[in-house]
Amino acid sequence: MERDEGSAEAREFEARIARGEKIEPGDWMPDAYRTQLIRMIGQHAHSEIVGMLPEGAWIDKAPSLRRKLILVAKVQDEAGHGQYLYHAAETLGASRDEMTEALLAGKAKYSSVFNYPTLTWADVGMIGWLVDGAAIRNQLMLAQCSYGPYSRAMVRICSEETFHHKQGREMIVLYAAGTPSQRRMAQDALDRWWWPSLMMLGPHDADSPNTPQLVAWGIKTKTNDQVRQEFINEHVPELQGAGLTIPDPALVRDDVTGDWRHGPIDWDEFWSVVKGNGPCNAERLAARQKAHDEGRWVRDALDAFAARQAGTGLDA
Amino acid sequence: MTRWEVFKQDTVGKPYQAVGSVHAADAQHALLTAAHVFARRPSAHSLWVVPADSINSRTAQELATREVQDMGSTADAVTGTVRDEGSREQPYHVFRKSSHRRSMTFVDHVGTLEATSPAAALDRAMAEAPDAAQALAWWVVPAAAVTASSEADAASWFEPAKDKTYKQQSLYGAGPGGSSRRNP
Repeated sequence: MERDEGSAEAREFEARIARGEKIEPGDWMPDAYRTQLIRMIGQHAHSEIVGMLPEGAWIDKAPSLRRKLILVAKVQDEAGHGQYLYHAAETLGASRDEMTEALLAGKAKYSSVFNYPTLTWADVGMIGWLVDGAAIRNQLMLAQCSYGPYSRAMVRICSEETFHHKQGREMIVLYAAGTPSQRRMAQDALDRWWWPSLMMLGPHDADSPNTPQLVAWGIKTKTNDQVRQEFINEHVPELQGAGLTIPDPALVRDDVTGDWRHGPIDWDEFWSVVKGNGPCNAERLAARQKAHDEGRWVRDALDAFAARQAGTGLDA
Repeated sequence: MTRWEVFKQDTVGKPYQAVGSVHAADAQHALLTAAHVFARRPSAHSLWVVPADSINSRTAQELATREVQDMGSTADAVTGTVRDEGSREQPYHVFRKSSHRRSMTFVDHVGTLEATSPAAALDRAMAEAPDAAQALAWWVVPAAAVTASSEADAASWFEPAKDKTYKQQSLYGAGPGGSSRRNP
């Protein structure tokens, strides 16, 4: 709302953000703050739910019982993370049904990275190491967010997601030191997941028009490029330490800052995937739609049960 | 479907803490769902679920700008017994948030008291808390709106998580290069 600008409430809101206070449900907030949060948290929730698909496809192909238990737990965690986030969006007045409909209608986005296929078992490990590694960097930043419910969801998610990251790293380090075909499989997974992992942290700051306002509101506490730099600095030495080659010939360490500088990112590919033309966009949405349709009888049964409990059922 | 707020008690003697919400057809379904969503890892000893519309919530900012008496008497809708507000005392659980510190939970259970309405319960809770002015948010919940997980189920619901050590990040070590090389 335009008239929010400069009002006493708006000044107090800004002062609270500056003091590092959390904004809680019931507190005054600008309409645009609420709208941006619903958009962001909804996208984040959808990413957790759609994110179950690429790895879930490998549960029945896991090479050992231990790996299968780990993967089942990880995919189950992603479902739980989606629930924490839908809850956070609901505290802002969004409804779960509306959010689900927006996802299925293609109106709400989810992370671009889940529109890439998982071609080998090593992709499961590489997703844990890189995709969850990038997600944790972003989520540690969002754990400091000014909106209480989003911040708390992020703290809970980060504490669980660290397991996802470490099990992936453990798997890839093992394969990278394994037989020639295991090493090839690990390198091939890195070759395919490195760039999408950099892209998933979002456009460069110069091309991210929402960022300054989100930072001013304390929703984001770092920019996309800052988070990406943290991710690269953390992962390049570890990947190289595992004997793998990062598929970026321009990658170089800046001896002054200690930062690893990456080569140019193919943003045409990123935007193409965001706009729905990635390798698996249609497949992912179709899988969600199928799950939604096939779960309809469960929702209907629950509604009928709830109505009977309340004495308003058809058989009451 | 009804939205239920979920409170988790980590161990005996610890306060119940608001962890989030689930959607469910009734209280038992809400408890089962809550166990899967919020107790996949240690530790949990007990869960409470409360229909979201039975939660009477006030932030410090709301208390500074609104009358406490605005609070609805949602207890009526839950118990179906106290139609005439203020006519009879009933127990209320009081929860509060006391700090802006990094946390994965919201309000903590701080006590149970008898009152004739949610507003009266909050008034009394604030009068009895010496540091009420520092509270950031309060939740008041009619005790009749709470459904607790059963003691008999606790072992089968919450103990197995302790054996699933593969979900613990500590099992996986520091990785190549060691943790000291992270975050230069």
